[in-house]
Amino acid sequence: MRRRWFFLGGVLLFFMGLWVLEARPGELVPNEGGRTVAGDFFKAAFQPAVNFEDPEMQSGEVSFFEKLGKALWLTVRYALVAMSLALVIGIVGGVLGSRAWWSRPNLFLQVLRIGVRLLATAVRSVHELMWALLFLSAIGTSPLAAVFAMALPYGGTLAKVFSELLDEGESSAAEVIRVSGGGGFTAFFAGVVTSALPDLATYALYRLECAIRSSAVLGFVGIPTLGYEIKTAYEDGHYREIWTYLYALLVLVVFFEWWGAKVRSQLMNGVAARRVMEGDCSLASLWKARGRSWFLRASVVLLLFGVTAGWLVEDKWGAGVSWEQRMRNLDRFTDEIVPFPVREADGDWGEFGPWFEEKMSDGGTKAVWRTFHLGTAAILLAGIVALVGVRFAARTLVSSSPRGVREGNSRHRELLALLLRGGSMLARAMPEYILAFLLLRVFGPTVWALIFALAIHNAGILLRLGAEVIDNTSSQASSVILAQGGSRSSAFVGALLPVGFNRLVLFLFYRWESCIREATVLGMLGVSSLGFLISDAKVSFFYDEMLLWVGLGAGLVFLGDLTSDLVRHKLRGKTS
Amino acid sequence: MLEFQSAGLAYGGIKALEAIDLSIQPGEQVCLIGPSGAGKSSLLGLMNGRLAATSGAVLLDGKNLGELSGKNLKQVRSSIAWVPQDLGLVPNLRVNQNVACGRAARKGLAGLLKSLLVMGKGEKEEIAALLKRVGIKEKIFTRVDHLSGGQRQRVAIARALYQDPQIILADEPVSAVDPERAKSLVELLTNLAREEKKTLVMSLHDVGLARRFFDRVIGMREGRIVLDGRPDDIGVEELYRLD
Repeated sequence: MRRRWFFLGGVLLFFMGLWVLEARPGELVPNEGGRTVAGDFFKAAFQPAVNFEDPEMQSGEVSFFEKLGKALWLTVRYALVAMSLALVIGIVGGVLGSRAWWSRPNLFLQVLRIGVRLLATAVRSVHELMWALLFLSAIGTSPLAAVFAMALPYGGTLAKVFSELLDEGESSAAEVIRVSGGGGFTAFFAGVVTSALPDLATYALYRLECAIRSSAVLGFVGIPTLGYEIKTAYEDGHYREIWTYLYALLVLVVFFEWWGAKVRSQLMNGVAARRVMEGDCSLASLWKARGRSWFLRASVVLLLFGVTAGWLVEDKWGAGVSWEQRMRNLDRFTDEIVPFPVREADGDWGEFGPWFEEKMSDGGTKAVWRTFHLGTAAILLAGIVALVGVRFAARTLVSSSPRGVREGNSRHRELLALLLRGGSMLARAMPEYILAFLLLRVFGPTVWALIFALAIHNAGILLRLGAEVIDNTSSQASSVILAQGGSRSSAFVGALLPVGFNRLVLFLFYRWESCIREATVLGMLGVSSLGFLISDAKVSFFYDEMLLWVGLGAGLVFLGDLTSDLVRHKLRGKTS
Repeated sequence: MLEFQSAGLAYGGIKALEAIDLSIQPGEQVCLIGPSGAGKSSLLGLMNGRLAATSGAVLLDGKNLGELSGKNLKQVRSSIAWVPQDLGLVPNLRVNQNVACGRAARKGLAGLLKSLLVMGKGEKEEIAALLKRVGIKEKIFTRVDHLSGGQRQRVAIARALYQDPQIILADEPVSAVDPERAKSLVELLTNLAREEKKTLVMSLHDVGLARRFFDRVIGMREGRIVLDGRPDDIGVEELYRLD
């Protein structure tokens, strides 16, 4: 019954979202100009550029692949450098925010711990693109601003997740050390951190993969990463070049996903020790035969090398602008973020209320509402697509013996599953912002482009997670349905879905929160929502308004984050 | 000597242990036996100060555990090893690293981190000798999650011995293994404790193992000690009646 209400509520919310967003079905079909652009653009997918499309550029000093390589390296480099800073923030915040660290909590320490967690949530509520805009406005363009823009929200996210993982790592091993007189610090490091280490490392690698996508997207605000090349190639109408950049980005992200998965597998499962000669039990032989992974060692060395090179190679982190100039920029910015009427009234904050009310009735309320519905409609669409897709992508349902019941040849099903999994991987690899940028060119300035961009990326993620849930769900009931002649779909709907449902909803809420976060910036591409107001204020140098909209966006994400946390916390108890 | 003076324990008004009077001499091999919820784990919890008596007192060598705190409590605890029911091992660490955790109190944080990251040759050899005694020397550099259930129990025993305690407390350490393996593990732990002249207090469900390997059997039911004596002095029927 509850599941039925959940579905019904979701469908209602989806259509309500479309109504609020004024998404008209007629806009789903691009106009003639859009169709031509779409046709040309997709045709170019089969002929990615191997050289500049502009003949003048071909005879230039820099070759196309040099340019591509430089953009790729910058994308990876900024991601690595930002992650090295984010890790420091994440480790400090994660430890201070975890219950496991404060073994003897009193009221003051509880307040401190909750304060650290709230601060981490607040910092990550502001999208990296918004942080970038704030930093660029405050101190001017510089690679360091881009790096900080990524490091802050990523650090907040790492802190939040690290503290949760450390709390989950609290085990009887720590208790044994504590009870044997080892003390709180020792028990924490030897019992909690060691237990949680594979999960901590895995999550940090996952964030590195996300940082590469973010680093590419920062190109849209002027940082010369892959996004910048995609944007300028589009403006020049060089569609084949765009596809080369897109393929390069996909390969890069897919490589990091593969790498992260392999590291995770080795950290989680370890490497089996080799057998020693019968009777040879010397410590030296046992030490030689111990399970060790060259892959893990090489990964650590490569990462350290990459981060060090990332920091050292740049000789102009400040873009050559003097410290004095930066300070003057910052002074001006801090003056101008004070609301205009407050400034006019010599700092009388009594003027803030009327100004705020005016801005909200002038479009602020509508923008917040639209942003919320954009994220919600997109995640609901992604959820529906993934739910249908999971049935055809789950390995245990497409094999010739689904759920252990022999059904005969099913090669076509396995092929479809492979295609779905491949598609989901590509969808995951493509940043929502870049997808939205491209779809807006096809559909024209309609909110559908943003809904689809968010939905495609998230459907890819949900499809993968959903298929894993279904494959890991042990249900004899599904085998019974199949053995009694029922179809695979019947086994899915009748047995597997009810068992895995809470877990699937858990993932939906986890992605909903990040959809709201992305929705706050997608408007910057020119569709009315908070992001649109932010970029409008930035272009007009109205920094007070810009900060107001950024703050509202952060507030919306903060609320989404808390709601999602609450729902997931409630559901988690019902999934184990 | 471990001494309970009318020690009671209550959780939110519910009595887990009622006015226990008991003394355990150094080197004694004591088995606690009784049905689930009889209070065995609570009694063990009072012995290493994990729990504090809500009435009466628990004394170790004359020191009231309930009144100790900070450094003094840590010092006393470093002389008591604990093997919990789920063994309390870190699955993704190697056997030698888990065993090294037995000396967490003595080493301090820096010393333990050194052992975990770059264990010296001397310590490796000492741990190897200990593992040889529990029969798994060849697993010294194996990750704990690559071991069988029985091997993990031996790691937990080795960690307890490495601590070099006066007292070893083991809370149903063989509840999850088959009877044959349980027998060999109880035999191993009691023999090692006897050789090293350690006090051993172990809670068990199996009456047969209790009678066969221990000097003294304490029967518990509903938070009270209902039997206490040498296995030969207690009738088999009396023991089985506890369940």
